[in-house]
Amino acid sequence: MRGIRTRLALALVALVAVTVLAIGVGTYLFVDARLRDGLLGEANRQAQFNLSVLVPERLPGGVTREDYANSGLREAFRLRGGVETIVDFADGDPDVSTAPLTGALAGFPTSLTSLAATGRLGFAWVDVAGQPSLVVGGRQGTGPIFYFVFPAGSIDQAIAQLRLGLLAAGLVAVALALATAGIFARGILRPVDSGSAAAARIAAGDLSARVPAGGADEFARFAAEFNRMADSLAATVARLKDSEQQNQQFVADVAHELRTPLTALVAEASIIEAGLDGLPPAARRAAELLVADVRRLRSLVEDLMELSRFDANAEQAMLEPTDLGEAIRSIVRARLPAAELHLPQTPIVVDADVRRLDRILGNVLDNARQHGGDGSVDVEVRGSGSDALVSVADRGPGVAPDALGQLFERFYKADPSRHAGSSGLGLAIAAEHAALLGGTLEATNRTGGGLAVTLRIPIATSVTGPLPGGDGGDTGSGDAGSGSDAATAPTEPARPSA
Amino acid sequence: MDARILLVEDDPSIREITAIGLRAAGFVVETAPDGAAGLERWRRDRPDLVLLDVMLPRLDGLEVCREIRRESTVPIVMLTARGDTIDVVVGLEAGADDYVRKPFEMPELVARIRAALRRKRDTAEADASASLQLGSLTIDTAGRTVSRDGDEIALTRTEFDLLVELAQRPGQVFTRDQLLDHVWGYDYLGDSRLVDVAIGRVRAKVERDPASPELILTVRGSGYKAAR
Repeated sequence: MRGIRTRLALALVALVAVTVLAIGVGTYLFVDARLRDGLLGEANRQAQFNLSVLVPERLPGGVTREDYANSGLREAFRLRGGVETIVDFADGDPDVSTAPLTGALAGFPTSLTSLAATGRLGFAWVDVAGQPSLVVGGRQGTGPIFYFVFPAGSIDQAIAQLRLGLLAAGLVAVALALATAGIFARGILRPVDSGSAAAARIAAGDLSARVPAGGADEFARFAAEFNRMADSLAATVARLKDSEQQNQQFVADVAHELRTPLTALVAEASIIEAGLDGLPPAARRAAELLVADVRRLRSLVEDLMELSRFDANAEQAMLEPTDLGEAIRSIVRARLPAAELHLPQTPIVVDADVRRLDRILGNVLDNARQHGGDGSVDVEVRGSGSDALVSVADRGPGVAPDALGQLFERFYKADPSRHAGSSGLGLAIAAEHAALLGGTLEATNRTGGGLAVTLRIPIATSVTGPLPGGDGGDTGSGDAGSGSDAATAPTEPARPSA
Repeated sequence: MDARILLVEDDPSIREITAIGLRAAGFVVETAPDGAAGLERWRRDRPDLVLLDVMLPRLDGLEVCREIRRESTVPIVMLTARGDTIDVVVGLEAGADDYVRKPFEMPELVARIRAALRRKRDTAEADASASLQLGSLTIDTAGRTVSRDGDEIALTRTEFDLLVELAQRPGQVFTRDQLLDHVWGYDYLGDSRLVDVAIGRVRAKVERDPASPELILTVRGSGYKAAR
């Protein structure tokens, strides 16, 4: 685009420059010729008059050196227009009216001297005694040859001035052309600019971007086509979003509708479970299976509902500065007390939502328990640069390397003969919660066998140091007592000690 | 001591099996299929505890809860169908003491009901002579009343218990989990929002300016304490 602008400017400047040059050269030649013609005509007339009127009048008996010197003709010629005179008596010693002209005759072209010798008038533009001059030569009959030297310096001066003027005018014209070209190019390219700006916005995801349409030129057609394309793109995306939303709504509705019968089922199953001992053996096994299946169904429905809340963007994290090690310790104690804990020496404070940490760790620990075999589970909390890491590592068979990335997909089953009781959604849910905390979940295979799932969340940067206990009447804490917003956890820096 | 429970639930299956489970646990159970009937039943029978579904035909559970609260401090446990935070908060705002999320297993429900009833009994048997002072508040633990300058402030049972729990040891910091354990009788990892919402409600009633509390203070990163 910049290229087009430059090319447009260059083309315009070149055009102007060529035009100015042509006009300049033409003017120059024309004026030069006119000035010289003028001087030449005048010089011719004067030489004619001098030769045919003045000389015969003063020297009626022919021209000799002595007569000429005394005739006062030199002065008479000079008075009529500053003309100096060289008179060639064909004896190698021409008479000059002023000293600087001595020897100038030798510098005259032969076209002049030979023409003058024939008795006709000849002229030549020559430098005489360092001055640009017009020399007109002629003779009367067989008399001496008179050369009249007319100063032509004023012509050269005028021409030089003209040249200067033309050059200045040319520069101004080129500069104007350059400026005009810029404005012109911008005007021409404005639709292109707005077109590419609109395309960039669309590429960035803003499907409402349009090119302003107007006029009837090629750009107006381009704008109309562009906008038509953007319209259809927006419509397609809206349609896709709609159907995705309908899908998500359907899942949410199904899960919601399932909840009422599921509530009855779960209550019923829990009562059957309490009475298993009173059942005949055949019914007892069936009842046991029923209880287990109801549990599985429950976790599936609850997981689906949880995911559908994420899909509907109904989930918000309530972040609060949290001692990560302490939080993980209490979660692990409640969820999997058998796990081995490795906590950092100094507390790591993160902006987190403890309930979500619990959901993440709970699901990851469930996964470790179900697929980790009988080996121990290690839970480690540590800092790594600006991030805090929580890793849960089991001693199970691990996961095929190419399947590691799919582990957090919904319903992904790395192990087809998986344990009963898990929905296949646990890790996907954990990943959603992690994202809500501004973090990620990643899976790696441990050296020595086993799977490690690591939560990575940013370490809080807003720590202002330990505060004394109690906030008195701190109105800025966001912990208003009205109750309606009391679910918003107070935002607090690190606790004073672990 | 067979406690009498009023169960208000519109789904017949859930209503029946829950009633069966509660009876098996030793409670006397009355049921009502909708909010209006539930309120009527409550007024007639005056049960020891009300188990209330949130989504009810005719008169919804929250409205029933508010109505009952106007007349009594009877323990109310809400059954919430949705997992939304907002549902939980709104239920507690309406004056419920606790909530149980659907679906629930009977032992879980029974435990929560027992905890709510135990608190009621515990507080009823509290030291008859005790009276606490918190700032300008006078807390009469025997009569279960709170007053400032002779003007009585109406608190629900849970709100009162929470205030007493804090006021008994001014300056001591209670974590949310501790409060869940002591006040609600949770002996497992519970939902700390319960505490935050209840604290908010108590502050709204007893603080001169709930936006800058002077009696019940937040301890950053830990929990709450009563002013010394």
